[in-house]
Amino acid sequence: MILDTQELTYHYASGKTLSFPDLQLYAGEKILIVGPSGSGKSTFLNLLSGVLPIQTGNIKLNAHDYATQTRQQLDQLRADCIGIIFQSLNLIPYLTGFENAALSLQFSKERRAQVTDINTSIGQLAEGLGLTSDILAKQPKAMSIGQQQRIAVIRAMLGKPALILADEPTSALDPIATEQFMTELTQSIDPTEQAVIVVSHNPALIPLFDRVVQIGESI
Amino acid sequence: MISLALASMRARLFPIILVILALTSSMALLLAVDRIKVATQNGFNQSLSGVDLVLGPRGSGIELMLYTVFHLGKPTNNITTETLKDITQNPKIDWAVPVALGDSHRGYRVVSTTHEYFERIKFAGDQPLQFRDGVAFRELNQVVIGSAVADALGYTVGTPMFVTHGSGSLGELHDDFAFNVSGILAPTGTPTDQAIFVSLEGYELIHLGWTNGSQAISLKNIDVQQIPKERLYPKTITAAYLGLSSKLGLFQVARSINEYSEEAVSAIIPGVALAELWSIVGSVDSVFKLLNWLIIGISIIAMMTMTMTALESRTREMTILRALGATPLHLSSMILTEIALISGFSVLLAIGLVRVLTWVSVDLLSEWAGIRIELIWITTNELLILGLIVLAGLIASLIPAGMVYKRSLHRGFSN
Repeated sequence: MILDTQELTYHYASGKTLSFPDLQLYAGEKILIVGPSGSGKSTFLNLLSGVLPIQTGNIKLNAHDYATQTRQQLDQLRADCIGIIFQSLNLIPYLTGFENAALSLQFSKERRAQVTDINTSIGQLAEGLGLTSDILAKQPKAMSIGQQQRIAVIRAMLGKPALILADEPTSALDPIATEQFMTELTQSIDPTEQAVIVVSHNPALIPLFDRVVQIGESI
Repeated sequence: MISLALASMRARLFPIILVILALTSSMALLLAVDRIKVATQNGFNQSLSGVDLVLGPRGSGIELMLYTVFHLGKPTNNITTETLKDITQNPKIDWAVPVALGDSHRGYRVVSTTHEYFERIKFAGDQPLQFRDGVAFRELNQVVIGSAVADALGYTVGTPMFVTHGSGSLGELHDDFAFNVSGILAPTGTPTDQAIFVSLEGYELIHLGWTNGSQAISLKNIDVQQIPKERLYPKTITAAYLGLSSKLGLFQVARSINEYSEEAVSAIIPGVALAELWSIVGSVDSVFKLLNWLIIGISIIAMMTMTMTALESRTREMTILRALGATPLHLSSMILTEIALISGFSVLLAIGLVRVLTWVSVDLLSEWAGIRIELIWITTNELLILGLIVLAGLIASLIPAGMVYKRSLHRGFSN
């Protein structure tokens, strides 16, 4: 099992409390998390990525128990085991596509060890996502949103982290590009070692996933 | 992390260049002012050595030092050679070198003195005056010139010259008697380099026949060799340098001179007068330094402001790095690295700039102001000052770095 969450709740400073469903995720699985705005989807992803401390309940990622990890260990766990894709503005503007993609190896020895030749690894991932080498040489401002999102996928995938977390990755894309992007994303993972969690409020994506987990009110 | 910081800085090149320019110029200014101060102070302290007391008319000791040693200003009064003779009867006084001032040559002061001047007067501790070329004056019509005079006017041994009456350029020329250069002194970095030395007798000779500042009788029709030597010994001089047989009697001799009743004279201790003089000049230097440190402080604040202003626009960059596993410490150390790179680069530029400025101005300052600056890269003291500035910059940058740390610790990822 890659991920196991138990009885997670989160208390906001405003007094609001959210409970999250228990989740068990195995290698090769693709899960879609749906829920309306304010239902806590982003909070759930922040808890899974270890950037927000768990208050009640627990999370286990690749047998690492979040409750027993220090903040620094959680940061390292994120660097080693999690690839994150945001809704938009995924790339650092002053780096090229290639440099942005390679950035994921900066903080993880484990992921660096997975990559024997960075040019080949990025090249293969880029090819799978339909990106040419000239796109990789460009800075984000010279790319389309779709191309930027694909670079973010390469960065998340590089070094084979166990869990890919994507927060509304297609919100800036049109329906055709959305379907193509999600197909490419879900097909890019290694089914024996990796799993994907995508957060979205787009019901059209449901058929592309193995399971749908609902947070907050039903959509 | 350094490569990332460099790439991030490249993206904000223009404001960073402005901050580097501000820091570099303020640090270079500080170093330059400090070097000029050190060189001036050294020049001050080294300008007169081997002299225990300076005897002159009663008045301000600083003024006496200014016109006798630095050849600045005009002598207010003279003292009689009779008084000098009387005072040097004191067995504690080993030697006396009289000087008479008043004339000039093309803006350079003429100092009339005796042979002993070149043996007794020292500079930079205990370094004797040496001749670069020629010898000391022996005849009435011979002069010795300082190295700066020789270089500026292109004079060599044997060059004839006339002396102008008075220290200004509008004085009447003593064109009835020509001097010849007999020797050129080696450079000393002191006012000696800018002086012209003639014998007391030669000086007296060109003033024979002068009354109330104008010439009444010309020397052209007189055989100067026929003038009796005692007639050429001056009746008055401007001052005299005194050497004692023992330093222990310094204050006693000074007191006895100051209490001399026959004529209003005083004796000053050069070291004390120089220190007094430096305390006046030094306060100007302190104001300069204070202004300089203020400029550096403002530059550091500008650097900090730039970093803090940029933080808002760098939220996305920080979020991405956090998502990739960067700890809050990583992010704050990236800010510190950037500040360290900016400060370090500014320091290197400042050192280079000061080196170039020193190289360009070394001759100019020497000729123009008599300030001899050493052509060096950096001194330990300067390195310490620059290190302090970098440290101050890094301490100031702890504020934006702390802000980044705090923000990244409490902020989750959100769109």
